[in-house]
Amino acid sequence: MQPTPMRHATEHISGPVVTVRGLTKSYGGRVVVDNLDLHVGAGEIVGLIGANGAGKTTTVECLQGLRTPDSGVIRVLGLDPVKQADRLRLQVGSQLQSSGLPDRLRVTEAVDLFAGPHAQDRDRLLEQFGLGRLRRSPFAGLSGGERQRLFLVLALLNRPRLVILDELTQGLDPAARREVWSAVAQLRDEGTTVMLVTHELDEAEALCERVVAMRQGRVLDQGTPAELVARHAPGVTVRFGLPGAGGSAIRGELDRLPGVHRVSQERDQVAIEGAREAIAHVGAWLVASGHPVPVDLRVDIPDLESALLTLLDQSTDLPETRKVAS
Amino acid sequence: MSTFVPIQPDTAGADPRSTAAPAPKHRSATRRLVTTELRLLSREPFALTFVLVFPIVSMLIIGGSFGTQPDDAFPVNPSHWYVASYFTVVIGATGLIMLPVHIATYRERGVLRRFAASGFPRWSFALAQLMVGLTAIAISGALLLAVAAPVYGIPSVEDPVRVVAGVVVASVAFASIGVLLGTMLPSARAAQAVGLLLFFPSFLLGVGGPPPAVMSDALREISERLPLSLANQAIREPWLGIGDATVALVAVTVIAVGAMALAARRSAL
Repeated sequence: MQPTPMRHATEHISGPVVTVRGLTKSYGGRVVVDNLDLHVGAGEIVGLIGANGAGKTTTVECLQGLRTPDSGVIRVLGLDPVKQADRLRLQVGSQLQSSGLPDRLRVTEAVDLFAGPHAQDRDRLLEQFGLGRLRRSPFAGLSGGERQRLFLVLALLNRPRLVILDELTQGLDPAARREVWSAVAQLRDEGTTVMLVTHELDEAEALCERVVAMRQGRVLDQGTPAELVARHAPGVTVRFGLPGAGGSAIRGELDRLPGVHRVSQERDQVAIEGAREAIAHVGAWLVASGHPVPVDLRVDIPDLESALLTLLDQSTDLPETRKVAS
Repeated sequence: MSTFVPIQPDTAGADPRSTAAPAPKHRSATRRLVTTELRLLSREPFALTFVLVFPIVSMLIIGGSFGTQPDDAFPVNPSHWYVASYFTVVIGATGLIMLPVHIATYRERGVLRRFAASGFPRWSFALAQLMVGLTAIAISGALLLAVAAPVYGIPSVEDPVRVVAGVVVASVAFASIGVLLGTMLPSARAAQAVGLLLFFPSFLLGVGGPPPAVMSDALREISERLPLSLANQAIREPWLGIGDATVALVAVTVIAVGAMALAARRSAL
């Protein structure tokens, strides 16, 4: 399929789609979002990641005007989400965490209910998301994956300029997750601005151009998934079994290879830790040394999860959750 | 799930928000919400049981329990007394049970958040529920009378203007109370518990239970001041020609205005 020009109005937006400065929100004296700054540009897919209680959902709820910030400035598509909520909400598509539909509402009825004056063609959208055969099914009769796809249909129905997806694939089986990912990837290709709140770091890695790691309501770091991995989990580990590798000579040879930081050995099993370039040098050494390429050769490359864990670990020196000064 | 197909843009390079013509018969968000809610009401067994089946079955049972001759306890034909009274049961069941449970269920399941995030005006859901409540009362009341007609007969309406005023004001009052309770109670279970707790004493003491003449003075004093009992007096007395119930009508009007104002304040999703 040929790439197609974007069909949404993001091309008409100059400057950031989302600007947040100094957002603070607390519940019952506990600060949940703490002086947060955030920018999302037109056409970006930005992921908010972090542990439970990091303030991700509260942040996007403030962006949608569902919660009123204690302090700070928020502009979404140039509008104040609280004071101009009615205008803004027509331009934002939302897939909310922990939200549902009436049990007995049928699929087509749900789409008709949420369809505004500029809505896309209902039947075509349902077909695109694999819900065409479920038009008359009540919401209670849909599987988890079908419900999430219906929520996506509702989020995209009115041609939103910004789509906010909170825990999009929570509880879905792997096949259903891939289907939903494919739909989001398509949005990205069309230039729609997407904010994705997720605990699924493989999801963030697969879909997001930029991720914002949060803890205790603050931004710890942000960048592309690759940048975060490079900054916070740069090492790789190469493992293989090498019969007869009991001597220290082999360990010494491996230790001298560029990028190798540490070589450990237990019986015939060798583990080499180092920078990414070490992968190529170890491979070259294996071939050059005349050993058959080990059948159990494995390379562990850190992913976003490793980077986030390191980041959260490093940030434990943050003061405990701040209380609002009384 | 092999039916999934990636999204296809419908108009390459176009901005449909600026070029697509609005659908010719597009309905407002509030109209869509009202239509959908009325449709869902017809599929809701809990609501149908309490608002439709319970008043009719109870009316059939108790309406035949005291004969048809007036006596010390009943100033008119007892069957007609209960036919007129059970119209108010429909109003009470709608306002104290059906609406609070329905709205609280929506809140618990995040449906209200979805409506709010999707740009439905803040007041539209409350208005839709008010409309649903009034429609439920109208349909259930008509069915109650249709069932009563061949069994006990429908008592003639002695003062139609006051009866209509009583029905309208009582319906608005209890539908508003229902919306108000629904916005205040945190879960469907809580709404069910509170609703039943409010409904049954009002039902037994002030509307569908024993006549006030057989109650002790203290119990009668209490029963006459219950909001549902006031609504019943405002409808039953001018209907059966046993009083004009002006005080009750004024009291129910005050309740209606107060409940509507509070429901409107609380209905910000």
